Amino acid sequence: MQLTPSIFREFIGLEVRRTSYQDLHVLTKLLISFSLSLSILFVRDLPSALALLALSAALCKIAGIPLGAIRKYLVVLASVTSFIAIAFVLFASIPGRVTYFEHTLFRLEAEKGVLEWKILVSDRSLEYTAVFVTRIFSMILSAILLLGSVSDRELVWGLRAAKAPYGLCLAVALFFKGFQAFVSDFFTVRDAMQARGVDFDKMSLLEKFRIYVNALIPLFALLISRSYEISLALEARGISPGSRVSSSYYESRPRGRDYIAIVGAILVVALFYYYSALVAGWIS
Amino acid sequence: MSTKARRITWMHIVSFAFATAVSYVLGVLSSLIFPVLGAPGVSALYVAAAVYVPLGIWMGMWGALAGYFSCFFLGLYPSGYSLVQSAVWAFADFIEALIPAAAYRLLRVDPDFTLRRPKYAKLLPIFVVGGTVLLLLGIVVQVLWGATLGEPFTTFYVYAVYIGTALAAIGIIMGMLAGDPKTWGLYVVAGIILPAVLSGIWGSATLTIANFPPPLPAELFVPVLIGWIAGDLIVLAVIATAMLVALTPVVKRTAIYVERWFA
Repeated sequence: MQLTPSIFREFIGLEVRRTSYQDLHVLTKLLISFSLSLSILFVRDLPSALALLALSAALCKIAGIPLGAIRKYLVVLASVTSFIAIAFVLFASIPGRVTYFEHTLFRLEAEKGVLEWKILVSDRSLEYTAVFVTRIFSMILSAILLLGSVSDRELVWGLRAAKAPYGLCLAVALFFKGFQAFVSDFFTVRDAMQARGVDFDKMSLLEKFRIYVNALIPLFALLISRSYEISLALEARGISPGSRVSSSYYESRPRGRDYIAIVGAILVVALFYYYSALVAGWIS
Repeated sequence: MSTKARRITWMHIVSFAFATAVSYVLGVLSSLIFPVLGAPGVSALYVAAAVYVPLGIWMGMWGALAGYFSCFFLGLYPSGYSLVQSAVWAFADFIEALIPAAAYRLLRVDPDFTLRRPKYAKLLPIFVVGGTVLLLLGIVVQVLWGATLGEPFTTFYVYAVYIGTALAAIGIIMGMLAGDPKTWGLYVVAGIILPAVLSGIWGSATLTIANFPPPLPAELFVPVLIGWIAGDLIVLAVIATAMLVALTPVVKRTAIYVERWFA
């Protein structure tokens, strides 16, 4: 199958290198991401969290997704990480074998006891934070793998191959095309506002927000008229939402490597489940 | 309402797909510009709700589905939740649009958002948002501390609940005075308060307490819940109301308007 721009490429312009992973069947690629999602369910300690993180990163590498692109989002990732750490420190009092820091922020004598709000940093609270943060990074990488390896066209071809109704295939295709249409409509409305004397450069953030919110009404009116035009075009061609077309220009069938990848994906989930059961003492 | 059988047309499917895309773009922008810190994908001013909640009133289940899929993709990117976590979490936005959609259809109220007294509609958000947030704070304080520690938390709870309920009730009355009492009264309850509260509970619980597994620590439940509900209340009371007032007469004249659930 030819390589079509991934969803990530459409969203943020991230170029993905062509590798044999990209040639896998779209269902196989969905199943691999799904198996990583399921494996997260069984991650309860640092070693398994690190193993899943390494596996997700390796799969991104194999899929030709440049992980360097994530560097742009490091500030966001760092803020999420630090706020999770702050949540553990401020809101959860997890005692451990070793206490590194303890400080009472607030103490109130109530009718039936004392309300204490204290900061407690222990070895266990640090371990919990590390597991959560590692798991978040694994989740992000599994989402990147999915969006970096699957394209909107592949999804539509996959739906066509599965004999899905035209209505569903078109809804998926239009969803992805809808971003560009919305952005283009937004610039049209903004240009119209500027032509009427609105100066965005001299406005405060709050005023800009108010103006942009007001722009939602014409944008929605444009959405209705665009929907009307497309619907008329489809009806004029005699296609109904429930139509099923038996032929397809793009044929894609699972091959040998797809079956190997599917077995691998199932094995990954089984391994993480086995490890989690072993640690929990469900099996000996 | 007409009882004539209607079918799903391209107009429904196409506008649903576009509305999902618009909600997704607005959701991404909202969560990046007004984030609830520590909770990716959660915004303190989730503007996307102003698209799919009115859409729920106009287009029934299509609006709820637009909310679900936009939130599902928001969960995947840029929030970075896994496929399963996103699929469970996204029901928050589905519920948010489903409540008004169901309320207007089950109670057979024909939405007429024509404004007769605009100043009441302008005051409505202050009372509804203030009252509901105060009520919520009172309940949170009682559940977390009042039940076990007693005074002074129980006194705060009682005052917060009484004042919050009174403010919210004034908000509902103001809504009913703004225009058609049935449409506006139902909108304040089932279009602003209930959707914000129930979607906030589902959304923050599936992020912190129950999911496969919850992506964030359980200790973040209360901050995320309060941020979520307050943000959605403001957006629904201010922006969604403006959308409904301006566009309901237009939408009702087009083929995208859905009298039943899907057609």
